[in-house]
Amino acid sequence: MARLTIPKEELLRPGHAACPGCGPALAVRLLLKGLGARTIVSIPASCWTVIAGTYPSSALGVPVLDTPIESTGASISGLRAAADALGLEGLTVVGLAGDGGTADIGLQALSGMLERRTDAIYVMYDNEAYMNTGIQRSGATPLGAWTTTTPVSASARGKAEPKKDVMSIVLAHRPAYAATANPSFPEDLVAKAEKARAVHGARFLHLFTPCPPGWKFDSADSVAMGRLATETGLFPLYEVEDGRLKITRRYSRLKPVGEYLSRQGRYSHLTPQEVDAVQAEVLRGWVGLLRREAEAGPAHDAPSASLLTR
Amino acid sequence: MQEVRFLGRGGQGAVIAAELLAQAAFLDGKIPQSFPFFGVERRGAPVTAYARVSSEPIEVRGSIATPDAVVVLDRGLLRFAGATDGLRENGWVLVNAPASVQAFAAPAGIRLASVDAARIAVDHHLGSPTLPIVNTAILGALARVTGIVSLDALERAIAAAVPRKPQENRAAARAGFEEVRPLTDPRSRLPLPPPRPRRELPLPEGPLALRSSEEILTASWRSLRPQIDLSRCTRCNFCWKYCPDVAITLDAEGYPKLEEEHCKGCGICAEVCPPKTIAMVAEA
Repeated sequence: MARLTIPKEELLRPGHAACPGCGPALAVRLLLKGLGARTIVSIPASCWTVIAGTYPSSALGVPVLDTPIESTGASISGLRAAADALGLEGLTVVGLAGDGGTADIGLQALSGMLERRTDAIYVMYDNEAYMNTGIQRSGATPLGAWTTTTPVSASARGKAEPKKDVMSIVLAHRPAYAATANPSFPEDLVAKAEKARAVHGARFLHLFTPCPPGWKFDSADSVAMGRLATETGLFPLYEVEDGRLKITRRYSRLKPVGEYLSRQGRYSHLTPQEVDAVQAEVLRGWVGLLRREAEAGPAHDAPSASLLTR
Repeated sequence: MQEVRFLGRGGQGAVIAAELLAQAAFLDGKIPQSFPFFGVERRGAPVTAYARVSSEPIEVRGSIATPDAVVVLDRGLLRFAGATDGLRENGWVLVNAPASVQAFAAPAGIRLASVDAARIAVDHHLGSPTLPIVNTAILGALARVTGIVSLDALERAIAAAVPRKPQENRAAARAGFEEVRPLTDPRSRLPLPPPRPRRELPLPEGPLALRSSEEILTASWRSLRPQIDLSRCTRCNFCWKYCPDVAITLDAEGYPKLEEEHCKGCGICAEVCPPKTIAMVAEA
């Protein structure tokens, strides 16, 4: 028998209300394996509000606070303050928000929580649109993607704007730990959750979570779609600790991004030229990531005093 | 007043069926109402929609607890309790089923009829053979067995409201009207669950959700099931590792076991299995 590469304990229960093949469901199942049972989760309005279950049942083996969509960052700040006031030790406070609840509606509370150095983990599970309400575009929807509010017609080509770079916004706050992860790489995701749990201060995880109904692909292909996103360089896996960026899944050659785009109905209208434009953008991002990784070093951490006037 | 409950899966057209029935009733000079149940609108998940038809103004607005007829667009849903909940005495259960299914077991006081709406839909090029759009065929059958609307009004409602293939949909409704047959054979091949008593949920005083979601049997969402060939299994545990529904467990020796009651049939396990020992097969 093969050794288990991730913890066996399940903190997600069967019977939850996620769609078949749901990326966010798999991501949170793995996330909780890394975070452990001594965790409390705050969930704003999102698919996960529904997945976690309706009264009187819960799909999570940890306590859950339901919170308004804009309040994730504020609610985990409050949970941390309450836990500290009660003297609860070893408790991991987690906010679990979608991309709309993070990149758009919850951005202010996220910024506040990061700036205050709140001792909590903010998790954005990114399915690249408001999926729970029926596929409306969010700030995190990629360029060219079809949604019900970015239609494809004679005069429109899906979303006209590029995806909001939430990680750069987060890194500008200099969090204690930040990482990207993808449930198609379970060991990497669990390791990052374990690492985030061990660090104190404000932490952020960006989880890439394919959505079969929203992206228009077969539920069986959910894991394959996540793998392709990383193998094409479209969603690189990396972590940032004390400002040092480290790529955790490295490729000497990336797969062409068309292999990923062509398998999703939301991109079925893209012309070869439009695919080429996405390809160029992905390569720019990958090269930029390699450069940022190379830059991170002791010299960067401690600027020389000779830069100052006397 | 007559009340009809439609049961289907996301994508089969149950909501549109309820709307078309209401529009046909209006053309018959009746006062109709139709609306879907707002629940977990997930792909493959059971969908419920309602229609009321009356000759008087309808005062009630709530969901239908005591229907006169239940229309079942996917007979796989009959395996789960709830299909006939609250059905009135001598109420109709109309099931989409092939002609080969001759016998259902109906508790006393329930009238059963079936129509091969899937075959009719395929004959009229409505949907695909794997996902036929059965709603207009089964509405024709409903018009015949209950008389709730006239076939003429139904055809006119379809012609006015169905944007694609209106002629094919009208023909499917006529075929459903002609081909529907009552089922009276008492032998049990597809057991119909008895209605469940209504349950009231008291508001708790402590934390809200104390029960596990495991009591929710999401297997009802499934049309395909994974079949694991353990003789070729290498115990790599990929199927367990990647299951979003926590529906595969590992035994003491590391072999996977399917949790039948919760698997939603997404097919990820079959896709990620390196030696391809898992096949997705149709539910009976």
